[in-house]
Amino acid sequence: MKRSRLQFVVIGALLLLLVPALAACGSGGNSSSGPKVKVGLVTDTGGLNDKGFNHLAYVGLQNAMHDFSNVVGSVKESKSDADYIPNLQGFASQGYNLVIAVGFLMAQAVATVAKQYPNVHFAIIDSTPSDANGNSLTLPNVEPLLFHEQEAGALVGVIAGMLEKGGTTKLKKNTISAVGGVSIPPVDKYIAGYKWAAQMEDPGVNVLVGYSQDFSDPTKCKAVANSQIGLGSDIVFQVAGGCGLGALQAADTAGVYSIGVDTDQKADAQNVIASAVKRVEVATYLAIKDVVNGHFQGANEPAFTLQNGGVGFAPGNITLSSDITAEVTKVENAIKAGTLTPPTQRSW
Amino acid sequence: MQLIGQILHLLITPALWQTTLESGVLLLLPALGGVISERSGVVNIAMEGMMLTGAFAAVAVAEVTGNPWISTLVAIAAGGLMAVIHAVVSIRFRADQIISGVAINIFAFGITAFLNSKITNFQGFNPVKPSAQLPYLHIPILDKIPFFGPIFFDQNIIVYVGLFLLVAVQFMLFRTRLGLRIRAVGEHPQAADTAGINVYSIRYGSVIASGLLSGLAGAFLAIGITNVFNDGMTDGRGYIALAAMIFGKWTPIGSFVACLIFGLGTSIVANNSTLNVSRDLLSMLPYILTLVVLAGLVGKSIPPAADGQPYTPGSE
Repeated sequence: MKRSRLQFVVIGALLLLLVPALAACGSGGNSSSGPKVKVGLVTDTGGLNDKGFNHLAYVGLQNAMHDFSNVVGSVKESKSDADYIPNLQGFASQGYNLVIAVGFLMAQAVATVAKQYPNVHFAIIDSTPSDANGNSLTLPNVEPLLFHEQEAGALVGVIAGMLEKGGTTKLKKNTISAVGGVSIPPVDKYIAGYKWAAQMEDPGVNVLVGYSQDFSDPTKCKAVANSQIGLGSDIVFQVAGGCGLGALQAADTAGVYSIGVDTDQKADAQNVIASAVKRVEVATYLAIKDVVNGHFQGANEPAFTLQNGGVGFAPGNITLSSDITAEVTKVENAIKAGTLTPPTQRSW
Repeated sequence: MQLIGQILHLLITPALWQTTLESGVLLLLPALGGVISERSGVVNIAMEGMMLTGAFAAVAVAEVTGNPWISTLVAIAAGGLMAVIHAVVSIRFRADQIISGVAINIFAFGITAFLNSKITNFQGFNPVKPSAQLPYLHIPILDKIPFFGPIFFDQNIIVYVGLFLLVAVQFMLFRTRLGLRIRAVGEHPQAADTAGINVYSIRYGSVIASGLLSGLAGAFLAIGITNVFNDGMTDGRGYIALAAMIFGKWTPIGSFVACLIFGLGTSIVANNSTLNVSRDLLSMLPYILTLVVLAGLVGKSIPPAADGQPYTPGSE
């Protein structure tokens, strides 16, 4: 009895050790010619297979490893919030040159670890580092990779508003909606731009905003989207990563339109009319390139915008009329020129 | 006051109850598995991992075969396979059943995420095609009944399967010889053994049954309600099912009531596009509702006497 219990504990402990080892298998690298540049990528709880920004960050790392033979990449996936600091510290303490934190949720963890390791370069996607109260900090060794999500949101909002104004949508209640993951700036900026542009095109349009409080469980986004469709939403904009695939599915089932997020999602559902795109892979790649070339920008890194191609939109599976595409182009040019500025704050 | 009015208005919407029944049955399946396993004396907290394994298997097989039935069978088998591990470790080797369960949950998370990455090269599986999903049945005429039609006659096929299993398991446990044996083994295995019941086979069978049911729940989640696999997508449902089983006093019907109350809470939360209340507060609702209703009304839950104790023949 006692011995078998001990055997079991040992087996259990081995299993526990095996799991992170399995999860970290994505690491690898090329043989190097110059001095090695070690890059560590820490995902948030969404994981590398999220079809969203964790995945894109990994693509950026792979592209950099492909283009620069001296870049050696490694990945740690976070299974819970409690993993952020240990994962970041793990890379920093092992002499990594650049540690990339994927996501707003790691803003405080990055600040904590970056202060402990002032000689290690850090980059964080979607946020500046922040203190325990959420106030943003300027740290010389942290490069924030920020996106103007509201500009991408505005372009898909133009499409949604024009379609509603045209009156050809299914439910005829002049209502559209957005399903957010959690109410954090990178999510709310998308929705702010979407709502603003839709109401610019169709001032009477009702914009419902709901949150799934989750980024990985598609049933939650499906339920939120279904409730919005029940209230008459003709167009559902998902801003919830892997969870949001459930919202796209709900739109397909109900026969209404949907809008994808972060990456081109037209392959993920039939009724996708467009996707608001954020080129996380480009930002990640450029951050690595900066370190390779010794041009690390730190807090001076400029934001990724429509103007520099950091955000944009991808067409979907439904052909839009020429006056809609013309209006999108017009608004796009106005935003690039600075004559139109989409809001970044919540108004719902 | 406005909020109370909004919630009351929600409660007369059929869509709310439709989702409640759907998410209730999704929790019911692993809860039934837990009831069978624990009634036989084996604590099973590994339903979460078994369900996740089932979900992964369902999507992976649906991608290859395009057939929802084959995918579901493989998902059930995959859940059963994880249960075999739990059974061997906790019955044959008499290890601590909680530790075995925790290990299986962690292992299931790791192996599914790993295989997902390896098979799809970090792309994730494509959403399962509609033809490869478990179908929703729209029962003609009956689904036109006002209010009740959409709730009871416009549901996924697994909802009906789950309701059938609920009745079947309740009947099996309390009205058949097999059920009596399972309960005897869970209450007093020595006495059961003396009476000529094979304690080990009853326990193996019960634990594996819990895996099969959890695997079915995984398939329902991944290719029924949704059409994708995301790492960790079960999101603690196996644990909620476990809690439902305890609140339900280790009976199928009681567990189902608990699952429905939790399902109602999550369905109300999903309507947060129109509810004027802090979403962080609102997202606690399912848990608070379940606690208040069940802890307040149900009273003390007493587990089977030999629950969690490995059986050694001849010991007292």
